[in-house]
Amino acid sequence: MLLLEVAASLRLFGGAAKLFADVIAGCAEQGHLPQAALAPTPLAAQWLAIGGDDRACCALDELPQRLGSLPLSVLALSSADDARLASFGARSLADLLRLPRGGLARRLGPGLAADLARALGELPDPRSRFVFPERFAERLELPMRVEQASALGFAARRLINALCGWLAARGGGVSECIFEFEHERGARQRPATVLALGFAGATRDGERMSRVLGERLYRLPLPAAVEFIGLRAEAPAALAGRSRSLFGERGEGAGGESMAALVERLQARLGNDSVHALSTVAEHRPENAWLRVVAAPLTGEKSPASLLPAPVLRNSAAGPRPLCLLVQPQALRELAGRPQCGGPLRLLAGPERIESGWWDAAEPDALGDVCRDYFVAISRRDEWLWIFRSQAGWFLHGVFA
Amino acid sequence: MSSSTTLAQILERPDVWRGDALAGAALPGVPTGFADLDRELPGGGWPRGGLTELLPLRRGVGELSLLLPALARLSRDELAWLVCIAPPHLLYAPALQAGGVDLSRLLVASAPGRDAAWACERSLAADGVGAIVVWLPEVQAASLRRLQLAAEASQALLFVFRPAACASQPSPAPLRLTLEGEGEQLIVHLLKRRGSAQSLPLPIAVQRPLRLRHALACPASAVSAARSLSRSAIA
Repeated sequence: MLLLEVAASLRLFGGAAKLFADVIAGCAEQGHLPQAALAPTPLAAQWLAIGGDDRACCALDELPQRLGSLPLSVLALSSADDARLASFGARSLADLLRLPRGGLARRLGPGLAADLARALGELPDPRSRFVFPERFAERLELPMRVEQASALGFAARRLINALCGWLAARGGGVSECIFEFEHERGARQRPATVLALGFAGATRDGERMSRVLGERLYRLPLPAAVEFIGLRAEAPAALAGRSRSLFGERGEGAGGESMAALVERLQARLGNDSVHALSTVAEHRPENAWLRVVAAPLTGEKSPASLLPAPVLRNSAAGPRPLCLLVQPQALRELAGRPQCGGPLRLLAGPERIESGWWDAAEPDALGDVCRDYFVAISRRDEWLWIFRSQAGWFLHGVFA
Repeated sequence: MSSSTTLAQILERPDVWRGDALAGAALPGVPTGFADLDRELPGGGWPRGGLTELLPLRRGVGELSLLLPALARLSRDELAWLVCIAPPHLLYAPALQAGGVDLSRLLVASAPGRDAAWACERSLAADGVGAIVVWLPEVQAASLRRLQLAAEASQALLFVFRPAACASQPSPAPLRLTLEGEGEQLIVHLLKRRGSAQSLPLPIAVQRPLRLRHALACPASAVSAARSLSRSAIA
């Protein structure tokens, strides 16, 4: 028996009648033919369903009349109680409801009277929630024996749907699930054919599982006809639902993972410090004019602050800046008054004086005071370099890549 | 239907090209920002969903400046993400910003060895990535082939930098360019492209620091001036 509390969801699913029809259709899709009823209390719904009355009943005051038309058999009482009720002259629930509740409790015990009160909504009827099992294991009997592996995909799809529902309820995904194909019993019982499906990452995407299964079934040899299909899955990994951005950032739902997921994945393998974004800082010393910042792609819309055009910190007095900067300036030899880097360098532009920085000279790891004259230089091999001269000599600091 | 119509239909397919003509591309390319280069590339620009192999002869010939206009366009106009993987030097943010790249859409990943190709493949699979620039000095042909397949499944631009010595090796990349500096210009050789071969070198006027201000009037005097200034700083 399956009890669904739907009062809170009526609006979302378009009213009681539509939701009821959807539930029945959903069950039919899974291959079940439910005997269902809709009532304001769980017990009333149960009795109506057993009685085969599937007209929706949405109001509490309709209940005595609707329940009254049911036979006593829906209560599933013991034969002794049935006989006593018959001796009272009660033939239907209507007769039972007419009896004084206090006398009924004295004669048949408090259980039945309390049930009647619960069914009519006079007493609260709290139910414990359904807890999904820790492991998923489902078995499906095929309507006919299947000889061709590729024909199993259709039936397996039903199990995959069930698995996806189980995973969605648990908020998880699996990276492996195991299909078992049991063969027909005969003179020679063969062991079940086991097919383990592996996925690149945890998933609960039924389409994706079906695709992988289809690929594998295509190449699977079957020793005998299949009668049962089983599907097992264990240890689901937490898999958060994915919210789509309203306008679709790019790729028009190409089915790829989001940028946030990419950043997480890269950080997981390469280390948090290895994946970062860049930002500029209003500073004149080249090493301090940029910053590593945390890569935090916004999943949906941009924040209001980032919608504003970023201030371009290009000082009009600043000279050209190279696209690549060396982590540590590299000392260059000087020959005949010219810096050398694979031959003498030709100075093309400069000097650009960059100096001062006494304010952080005392801090550890800070650049401190500098006094440098930067030049754009070209080497004999046509490399464009950014070099500077300081008290300590010539240094290569950047490459105009 | 005559057989000639069928032939014409076949020839219109983007994956069929005639030996004497430039191939069409399934997707229009991203304009490189250099009209001379656009004319020579199938699709009229850097190919989307294809691996572009760049083989610079030396560093500092303008290899990144060649990509900068397209990268700026993707990040600014198409709001696409740029991913740079395993750059050999620090990518200098002020210069990228001056080149028009939206830094809020740039991701830099330092990935040693074989992780670089892996990171590249993951980035290709992500939504919203417009271009990937990756340095793969020691990549195997097999992983290059994998990257090409992954690129075909996406719409991103994929630029792979490899040493110029690889020019003689076969490669699955549909577009291969060697880059060479010659004075102020960058000389591009189209080693391989879809369609007819192009053997003439293409001079491309990439952004060079000389075009800005600060032209040096007399280098020697500037050097001595710098030296005297440094000395005065010591004193």
